[in-house]
Amino acid sequence: MSLWAQVWTIARLELSRVFFSKRSFWVYGLAFFPAVIFLGHAIDSQLRAKRWAAEASVTPAMLDSFREGMSDEQVIAAAGKPARDFTWKRRQRREEGDDDPETRRTMTYSDVKRQAQLRFSDGKLTEIRVRPILDLEEDRRIFAGVFQYFYLRLAIFFGCLGVFINLFRGEMLDRSLHYWFLAPVRREVLLLGKYLAGLIAAGLIFSLGTALSFTGMILPHDSADVQVYLGSMGYAHLGWYILAAVLGCVGYGSVFLASGLLLRNPIVPAIVILLWESANGFLPDALQKLSVLHYLQSVCPVPAPMDSGVPPLLRMLLAPAAPSSTLAAVLGLLGVTALVLFAASHAVRRLEINYGTE
Amino acid sequence: MSASEIVFSNVSKFYGEVLGVNRVDLRIPAGITSMVGPNGSGKTTLMNLMSGLVHANTGSVMVRGISPRQPERLMKLLGYATQYDAAPRGTTGYDFVQAGLLLHGFPKAEAERRTWAALERVGMRQAANRKVAAYSKGMRQRVRLAHAIAHDPEVLVLDEPLNGLDPLVRAETIALFREYAAAGRHVILSSHVLQEVDVFSDQVILIANGMIVAEGQIRGVREEMSEHPSQYLLHCRDAARVAAMLFEESHIVEAKVDAEARTLLVMTKNRDAFSSALEGIVLRGQEIDSVLPADENVDALYEYLIGGCK
Repeated sequence: MSLWAQVWTIARLELSRVFFSKRSFWVYGLAFFPAVIFLGHAIDSQLRAKRWAAEASVTPAMLDSFREGMSDEQVIAAAGKPARDFTWKRRQRREEGDDDPETRRTMTYSDVKRQAQLRFSDGKLTEIRVRPILDLEEDRRIFAGVFQYFYLRLAIFFGCLGVFINLFRGEMLDRSLHYWFLAPVRREVLLLGKYLAGLIAAGLIFSLGTALSFTGMILPHDSADVQVYLGSMGYAHLGWYILAAVLGCVGYGSVFLASGLLLRNPIVPAIVILLWESANGFLPDALQKLSVLHYLQSVCPVPAPMDSGVPPLLRMLLAPAAPSSTLAAVLGLLGVTALVLFAASHAVRRLEINYGTE
Repeated sequence: MSASEIVFSNVSKFYGEVLGVNRVDLRIPAGITSMVGPNGSGKTTLMNLMSGLVHANTGSVMVRGISPRQPERLMKLLGYATQYDAAPRGTTGYDFVQAGLLLHGFPKAEAERRTWAALERVGMRQAANRKVAAYSKGMRQRVRLAHAIAHDPEVLVLDEPLNGLDPLVRAETIALFREYAAAGRHVILSSHVLQEVDVFSDQVILIANGMIVAEGQIRGVREEMSEHPSQYLLHCRDAARVAAMLFEESHIVEAKVDAEARTLLVMTKNRDAFSSALEGIVLRGQEIDSVLPADENVDALYEYLIGGCK
């Protein structure tokens, strides 16, 4: 049997155990949590849009015709009863000698796609705010933020911890690792086979999670807008996000596979690696290249939104200091992975079956 | 280095501060070899060393000319039924045996044929599709044996293989060992009960405290034992009377009667003479319900061989 046939046989035998392992079932929760949120948001957005359409809609031309200085009666006469109408009084005096309270009124109109919020002061229109009911641009930025700040940093990180650390450590706890060692295969081949199984499982789970979240993100939007987005860069974005998720599994998978061979307690490597990855922005350039997250951020197609009020220290933690080119990021990550797997192959060759100490 | 023997050369293995085996020099020829010793004596360590599950700190192990550090070569000719009573989660007996064969590189159809043959051989065909976790201890023992023999190995290593087996299955399993040995293969098994293995072993290795105490053909060990008094436990109606009659024999060293006068512990220097004496006592009308060897366990043997310093 050729080397790759052996690797594939091991991976095939291991796959169902990885997919249905009770010990790492929570990984599914992590992977599909954003998808649930985005799909929930999609349903909510569609319901909201329907409500606006049903309640009071004006023509787009009407929505654009409102001008500051118009009275509230003029607006109602032109556009009809608003969908939302709130009136309140501001009692604090604006000027000396002005004892009358200020009357504020907010009316909202919608042309189904956009909503206009009209703010009146003492019956005069003082401010007009028009914004889309569903904003694809904004949702893309939100998706980028969720993907980079939650999915890459936490979901894939801890998901890979759950999947890969159990490939060897879990079998030691189950006292079944020796069956693999009694097969006529080199230990390095066994390592590769198990890694491949973990990679297929984690890669599929997190790719699917990414794709579902992405679908949830675009789902409530106007199909014409979605077609334009997908036709221009949407599919490429989805591809890059999935690639980043898979590369995350490649990188973190190798790190946690090696950790499972070298250490008994998975909490220790998890904390150390999380700290290393988090503090990456503070490290010199050369050390930054030993971080999985450094490369993953460079692969993401949309920069994660960063509020201008974010303190510089936190900004350094969240943003890559010197992003690599995409090709360099992919190659760099594969290089780091190969290095870690090489170290793991040494560990697995020395590994002994001694369940009594587990 | 012999390509037909299993050779341990000055092998020591420590688990941290704890001694596994110490300076073991051993040559195991083909045939049935039993490793006998109390729990923690080093039997499993020797088996794990020859299968590569643990590695020696010093010395070397060669199994038919192959180092255990080359599992890709060694495991083609070695089958090991370990004492670890676990199988991968959720697996059935059939899947368990077949997975091993697929890892050996057998095509699926051939793996299926061999799986059924191995399960048939250990009488587990009917239960093949049940989860291993739901098996009884004896069934798990048998399915591990099927896993070990499925690829038809030249060297069969079995850790406590007769534990939990009923008499019929035990007899069939021993017949399997004999068949393997007759074909010029190695069958190496461990036990902590000497009388369990002495009837069918070609060679016995006695282990204590990680060291080889004695090795060779079982008769040789027995002869060493015969230099020391043997103990028997007799259950009878009138233990005091039987004790008195036994004391007429010169080979009887000691006889102790329990408080209820129903049980008698006897020490004799001559087993054959003791057996004849018992026949005589029965013929003289004394009822003896049972006669059990009280010291044919390995603990007593060590006491004989190493003076109780195990």
